[in-house]
Amino acid sequence: MSTLAPPLPETASAPVAWDAVREKFPAGSIIPQEGLDQPTWIVRREVLLDLARELRDNPATQFDLMLDLCGVDFPDRAPRFDAVYHLYSVPNAKRLRLKVPVGEDQPLPSLIPVWKAANWFERELYDMFGLQVTGHPNLRRILCHEGFQGYPLRKDYDAARRWILTEDKIYQPHFDLPAGADDMFERMTVNIGPSHPAMHGTFRLMAVLDGETIVASDVEIGYLHRCFEKMSETHNWQQVIPYTDRLNYCSSFINNVGYCRTVEQLLKVEVPPRAVWARTILSEFSRIMDHCVCNGSTLVDAGALSNFWYFFQPREEIYGLLESCCGARLTVSYGRIGGLSQDLPPDFMERSRRLLEIIPPFIEDVEKLIDKNRIWQDRTVGIAALSGEEAVNWGWTGPCLRASGVAYDVRRAHPYDLYDTVDWEVPVLYGGDVYDRYRIRMLEIRQSLKIIRQLLDRGMPEGPFITDDPHVALPPKEACYNQMEAMIYHFKLIMDGIQVPAGEVYSMVEGANGELGFYTISDGSSRPYRIKVRPPCFPIFSAFSRLINGGSLSDAIVSLGGLNVIAGELER
Amino acid sequence: MSQPLASDPMPSMPSTPPPGRPVLKNPYPPHPTSTRPYRPGLAERLYLPLLSGLMVTMRHFLKNLFGAKMYTIQYPEERRDYSHRFRGHHILTTRPDGSVRCVACFLCAQACPAECIQIEAGEHPDVNIEKYPVVYEIDMLRCIFCGYCVDACPEEAIIMSNNYDMAYFTREQSIVGKGDLMKPFTFDENLLGYRPRYPEEEAKRAKMRRDAFNLVDEAKKARAREELAAATAAKAGAGR
Amino acid sequence: MALKVLEDKDTSKIIGESWVTARFEDLEDWAQRNSFWPFPFGTACCAIEFMSTLSSHYDVARFGSEVVRFSPRQSDVLLVAGTINDKMAPVLKKIYDQMADPKWVISMGACACSGGFYRAYHVMQGIDEIIPVDVYVPGCPPTPEGLMYGILQLKERVSRDRKKHRALVARAAGQAQEEISDRVDARPASA
Repeated sequence: MSTLAPPLPETASAPVAWDAVREKFPAGSIIPQEGLDQPTWIVRREVLLDLARELRDNPATQFDLMLDLCGVDFPDRAPRFDAVYHLYSVPNAKRLRLKVPVGEDQPLPSLIPVWKAANWFERELYDMFGLQVTGHPNLRRILCHEGFQGYPLRKDYDAARRWILTEDKIYQPHFDLPAGADDMFERMTVNIGPSHPAMHGTFRLMAVLDGETIVASDVEIGYLHRCFEKMSETHNWQQVIPYTDRLNYCSSFINNVGYCRTVEQLLKVEVPPRAVWARTILSEFSRIMDHCVCNGSTLVDAGALSNFWYFFQPREEIYGLLESCCGARLTVSYGRIGGLSQDLPPDFMERSRRLLEIIPPFIEDVEKLIDKNRIWQDRTVGIAALSGEEAVNWGWTGPCLRASGVAYDVRRAHPYDLYDTVDWEVPVLYGGDVYDRYRIRMLEIRQSLKIIRQLLDRGMPEGPFITDDPHVALPPKEACYNQMEAMIYHFKLIMDGIQVPAGEVYSMVEGANGELGFYTISDGSSRPYRIKVRPPCFPIFSAFSRLINGGSLSDAIVSLGGLNVIAGELER
Repeated sequence: MSQPLASDPMPSMPSTPPPGRPVLKNPYPPHPTSTRPYRPGLAERLYLPLLSGLMVTMRHFLKNLFGAKMYTIQYPEERRDYSHRFRGHHILTTRPDGSVRCVACFLCAQACPAECIQIEAGEHPDVNIEKYPVVYEIDMLRCIFCGYCVDACPEEAIIMSNNYDMAYFTREQSIVGKGDLMKPFTFDENLLGYRPRYPEEEAKRAKMRRDAFNLVDEAKKARAREELAAATAAKAGAGR
Repeated sequence: MALKVLEDKDTSKIIGESWVTARFEDLEDWAQRNSFWPFPFGTACCAIEFMSTLSSHYDVARFGSEVVRFSPRQSDVLLVAGTINDKMAPVLKKIYDQMADPKWVISMGACACSGGFYRAYHVMQGIDEIIPVDVYVPGCPPTPEGLMYGILQLKERVSRDRKKHRALVARAAGQAQEEISDRVDARPASA
């Protein structure tokens, strides 16, 4: 295991070198925007492709990871839309945001030649906003169904307007395959899913099979598109929290934390130490839960059923802890903007310590059954292997990337909460295959247990569990019942909502699958103007065809499990 | 910052550069361009670790066979002990005279993300309690059991119980009205769930009240002592 | 199992008092309701809670659902767990149509019952837009015990429904076969 080198100190950051990059382009085509949370350039779409190539290849900038691409609709402005690119430089730990203003009929260049991650993001941009992208090989809807008309995330689209999908409009795949010379045997196109156990319920894989080998494949998603981003625009800031729960529902508390941190940055409100401590511990428990589900399901798909029962018992125990804190097992809604919704129960420390004793035996049981098992190794070693460089180009983050040899972890590169105050390692493996993705999750479970143990040893900080700013957090109930002032704040917060000052921020946490980012724009009102979730498994799953082509069908099933694609997060 | 492992294959980097030396531009290792898959050892290739796996399953099997504690909760005879914060079926609390405590302020309906609470307000004859809900309905099939209504209520009129046994045969049956939501005032604490005040906090508040009472008591006694001392001093002074 | 001890004195004289008789339909009902094989049409968070119900902590296999069959031909309860959106709707209808009679539908969770809090452009507001539902289990997600309560409620309904089904078939004896099956498919959701 190796650890990521700490980020370069600020003096070595190179805005000067970036200016040199900017000066290579015609004057006025790239304008820096000041005063935001990360460096932002407003770029004209004509220079976008060349700028992207330069940013990726120039050794001073090295933006090798395209994190996100989203659109924002400003109906009162011309040009109407902004296409916002978030870029990340893994070696330098630097971020850059590019904003490209485009009108309705102005196409953007496709950035697939620069970052393969752009493929599905551009399709989503087209689906949600109707922006054309030239040079895209497959520009069609990705999340909404084929019978859908209109572009839902535009501001003039009514949130409840539905379209029915009829049988004739369902997408039939079309593969352009060269006829082989020895093409004696028929090639068969097989449709797997979406209602298929190995497809985790909501993915559709269309594979052209030559015998048992997959010659070509296509993936269809969108079967769980629940319109999170539109719902966040129709609800106020506090009401979005239950929606975030259901993004990555296997580790729902991490989504709560990610979203609450974003809004807290916009509000510039400080979270009390007790809440930060509890958030870190419960995030790590949630991460353990998620890795249990991922590995358990993968093993079930491969036929190793006993491990599923072994893995679900730690989940049940962690459910007990979460339920004692907030009242729900799975979709907790425990975070609030400014802290937690309720104080920790008095037996929190004892329960957590007991969990630290209960969980390792189950993990060890599975390790003894599976780790050195030749049957499992034959199934997974070398399958769906992706090198680190290519994974970064595909936009991968999280355990799948760390299994390919790139030690990028948001908790280490951009520490938040208490992660830089405890002693833990970032596990890295170099195989890039399904076996290493399985192994790395087991190693991460152990690291999470280590983090929790240190935090518990440190002791629970005293103090409030939520900020006392009355414009952000509901006042405590005793004050509300007895004092008029508190009652008025309470009333205003419920009726009007939190008024978040205008601004935008991109904030990230390390979700169980990778970097979970929330790009949030506020216009100063009580409802978000735009929330874009950067789902970690979106770029990971976009590489699925690349991973399975040439392999057999059973390899495809196992490799899907190893990627830990959670549909709630993938399709929001 | 954690110390690198002793067996770390990477050269260890100092967390701050030593003084006087230039900071390296790129101490980060380049991304691997090829994969190095796991190389199984000889024992693994001979299927030998399968035996230790079989021992694991055999151990569980024998443990379960010969009277170990089973994890299974035999529902419906046994039920899991949920905490008293559980977010279950809602309860509309009542005043001592049996009428509903809710004053139809619409805060719960406003706070609900699912918009599942429908209230119609009516005028209450008592002028101190201006309004009451004539109709209070929760659509249980829309409800996401988030507890925002409980957080929003300023009267502690709506709380949640730890009842999760709900199943309906029709959509109409699932719209639960005021009568089904109200419970008599003397309900069992064990049946309650998510609500504003919990027993452990009652103890904390009782302790705070006791401490405050003790402080006031001591202050009074100290003042009485001072007055007595002042009075005796004055008498002694006057007497002289 | 509804056992009817013969009250008729003549018959009991003939065959003695150590026999009990029952109808074959009751035996059939008993077998049916104690061996529900669910088709877990799981899409979202409720599917995870369904996985918990299958696991050793709650173990729905105690109620006869030992195997979950992911094939519509081999299962009899369609357990829809999770949000169904407009893209998934044709798939759900196809699966429902492919299931063999007798079949029942349990709608688990707020999203499957009514769309939940997703009043949105891509989410179906309840699966009863396209298929008839027998039991609605609310919750988001419902606890495994809540789901098992729903399954137990369905078990009672199995008995009731079959009697009604028998009544319908007996009453409609002589009518065309399609008409009877139409009526069975469109049986009202209320008991």
